[in-house]
Amino acid sequence: MSGYLHLFPEFVLLFGATVALFGEFLPGRDRTVALLGAGISTVAALASLFTAAEGTLFGGMLVYDTHSQFVRAGICGLTALWLLWLAGRGMTGERSREATALALFSSLGGVLVAASAEFITMFMALELSTMPAYVLMGYRRDDIRGLEGALKYFFLSMLTSLIMLYGLSFLYGLSGSTLFAEVAPALEGAGTLALAGAVLVMAGLFAKMSAAPFHFWAPDAYAGAPAASVAFVSTVPKIAGAAVLVRLATMLAPGVDQLATLFVIGALASMLLGNLAALPQSDVRRLMAYSGVAHTGYLLLGLAAGVSINAPAGDLAMLAVLLYAVAYSVPSMAIMLVVAEEGDSVASLANLASRRPWAAWAMVVWLVSLIGIPPLAGFFGKLYLFGAGVTAGYEWLVVIAVLVSVVSAGYYFRIVRSMFFGTESTEADSGGITPAASGIQLVPSRLAAAALLIAVAATFAIGLAGSPILRYLGYAG
Amino acid sequence: MLTTIIFLPLLGAAVTALMPRSSPGAAKWSALLFAVANLIVATYAMVRFDVAGGFQFTERYDWVREAGIQYYLSVDGIAMPLIALSALLTVLAILVSWKMERKPAFYFSMILLLEVGMNGVFCALDFVLFYVFWELVLVPMYFLIAEWGGPRRQYAAIKFFLYTLFGSVFMLVGILALRMQGGTFDMLELARAGFDPTFQWWVFAAFFLGFAVKVPVWPLHTWLPDAHVEAPTAGSVLLAGVLLKMGTYGFVRSSLPMLPDAAASWSWFIALLAAISIVYGAAVAFAQTDLKKLVAYSSVSHMGFVMLGIAAGNAAGINGAVIVMIAHGLITGMMFLLVGMVYERTHTRMIDEVSGLSAGVPVAAGLMAFASFASLGLPLLAGFPGEFLALLGAWESDMWPGFVVISGVGVLLAAAYMLWMVQRVVLGEKSKAVSGITDLTRLEIGILLPLVVLIVVIGVYWSALLRYVDPAVTTLLKGMGA
Repeated sequence: MSGYLHLFPEFVLLFGATVALFGEFLPGRDRTVALLGAGISTVAALASLFTAAEGTLFGGMLVYDTHSQFVRAGICGLTALWLLWLAGRGMTGERSREATALALFSSLGGVLVAASAEFITMFMALELSTMPAYVLMGYRRDDIRGLEGALKYFFLSMLTSLIMLYGLSFLYGLSGSTLFAEVAPALEGAGTLALAGAVLVMAGLFAKMSAAPFHFWAPDAYAGAPAASVAFVSTVPKIAGAAVLVRLATMLAPGVDQLATLFVIGALASMLLGNLAALPQSDVRRLMAYSGVAHTGYLLLGLAAGVSINAPAGDLAMLAVLLYAVAYSVPSMAIMLVVAEEGDSVASLANLASRRPWAAWAMVVWLVSLIGIPPLAGFFGKLYLFGAGVTAGYEWLVVIAVLVSVVSAGYYFRIVRSMFFGTESTEADSGGITPAASGIQLVPSRLAAAALLIAVAATFAIGLAGSPILRYLGYAG
Repeated sequence: MLTTIIFLPLLGAAVTALMPRSSPGAAKWSALLFAVANLIVATYAMVRFDVAGGFQFTERYDWVREAGIQYYLSVDGIAMPLIALSALLTVLAILVSWKMERKPAFYFSMILLLEVGMNGVFCALDFVLFYVFWELVLVPMYFLIAEWGGPRRQYAAIKFFLYTLFGSVFMLVGILALRMQGGTFDMLELARAGFDPTFQWWVFAAFFLGFAVKVPVWPLHTWLPDAHVEAPTAGSVLLAGVLLKMGTYGFVRSSLPMLPDAAASWSWFIALLAAISIVYGAAVAFAQTDLKKLVAYSSVSHMGFVMLGIAAGNAAGINGAVIVMIAHGLITGMMFLLVGMVYERTHTRMIDEVSGLSAGVPVAAGLMAFASFASLGLPLLAGFPGEFLALLGAWESDMWPGFVVISGVGVLLAAAYMLWMVQRVVLGEKSKAVSGITDLTRLEIGILLPLVVLIVVIGVYWSALLRYVDPAVTTLLKGMGA
């Protein structure tokens, strides 16, 4: 019975999402709803961290361990951060109580994904975490571009879901079971069929994680959507995706020898394409879409290392993947939130340093963390990932990874340059609605500022307090 | 003690950044206070330092125990003088910017943040910690150049940033490879590990890229003239005075002791590049019309002597290398300070536009001549002993003597371009820009005075510096099995 305590975060989130749907009847409406959602997500995050780690539910459909607890806490924490910001700023020109509900539903899907160890559960939970994202991406009903992007996202996501489902049917056919624990032994020696299944499943997951060559939807969808939606959609489902990738990779590794090759190809393509394509972008949402592709590439590098070496070094590789997914998401979300406040193009961030010095410096912290400069979260994430890569014998891939990190400094510093020196030429506005253009005066909000401050603190803390995190994750060196 | 030396400036940077804009003087006083306090601590450490005691002032705690990362600080006789140099130059850099009115809180906190990174690199004995401080200097230096630099500051700042980052990421790969083979990030333990020569060769190559960009060694030097020309005076002083030394310090602290076999097989290559850097830097310095560029290229040349001493890999060579590092920090720091002071008055750095200083501003002219003589390696001034020892070490080593001869030609070239510069700038016809300017103020003379004293003291009595350096170098060489 006590095993059901593991579901506590799920129930809390479900409760919050349901209440948010009836936000109409609450005093204070949007703000109350968002604040309530933030509080509930925080409770869920803490509950994920501090309930007993080990356990299984429903005959192995849901498996809880320190990895999944960490990921669940990360998902809930980021959702809380986003909702806190939403309580302060709202969705530009739209009512935001539905956004709160959607975010909570998506996060509910995410926490289920993190614990799922069975195909059907995993698939449904993945859909639950992405379905609200479609709506969030097309949140502005009167914005044609936004709707186009959302529709594109919807179709492609459906397609890749089906491809993944097709792959899962192969694996089911080979093993006669949908439980990860039972599928894994049946795959050993299954040869080509297992590989085909693995390729199809990975193709679907790569697309969800916007890894090259399945990334095409991301730049278009992001560039049409409100930046606040992008902040959520580009981060929270990604953590869930990383968790499921780790779990699937661990399961498939013994049976599918070529799994590491798949990850290497994905990593190589994503790192190169993401970083190079991000260089010329003038819309921060597109830039972050491509940089997201690049960061997924780093994650795949860690996965490649994780499946090629045996524990405990392999374990560190998988830990590094999860850690990096969170370490990447915090600054990435925070940057998009500032973009949501200031406007979508690099040019609209010009001279942010003189208008809002604190926000500009926070942006510097996040951008520098994304480049991977110590002592911030991104550096330590990369340190562990690349360390695992070197241990697994992928030195050449690590060399490419660090080289493209230098390239990434090029485009991230264009943003810094625009914020501090404002010399970025005033590009044609990318078509997105800037707060100024929509005629809505954004008032400074303490809640939003608090959310950004927490994001800065987290970016430092994930870097500096690596020891407690690794210990929590059960890594003993 | 070392924690104080590293984090006092960080505290200072935070306090300075928060100084109210309404009282513009507050930021510079706060910055000066912290920098002077740090200089006092560093001097105290230097005095208390036991020259025969090996690594000392050790502080060692687990940081990320699970990943084997430690907070491990300790200094030997090579690092200690460099820390003192960095503390001194920071104070002078703050003083020379005393009239800075453009965003003073931002400016002075960046200088102090820079000092955190510089001191940290010289103190750290854990490779990850070392890397943390190594990269930490990039951000403040970027802002110093990009915010307070010359006309092409944006270009120069990002070029500096990307070049150095490019080098250091290779260093990171090398660090990870060492960690995999050696099982630790502890730099002293890695020096005892004894790696396979082929493995050493590759890691040495990775480290070489990281350190050589910073030094900079020809042909990786192209960021340096841009950065120097565009940087504000204080930025140039710290860049040339301390940041370049991080690169050569990296060679001495990690490449040599950890990868002795690779160092031996790479030594001809390093000697070759060193010789090219020496001659190339000097030859290009000849052609410069901009004073700052001339000093920048002379830096490439002088840092070549450090590399030559490192390539020699014997006691004389490495002792010489470390002494050149200190001396070059003092002399080039002084040169950049003087160029900055002249520029402030004449608003030009073109050599033919600032000629004839001695007629108008005798004190500035005299000090300029002094710094130039020190730079060209006049005996009894600090520029001489290091380059002499480096050449001596190179001659005694088994490298091709041709490198030594070529480098010796570099000394002659340095004398030639420096004297030619002195002839034009200090003597020469009094130009329009120079007429009517005032001589150095008391504050400015006060800034330069400690450098003058140290340059003379090291020049005359360099065994005082060797007392620190030599035992550390002996230990280092013993560890390398030489």
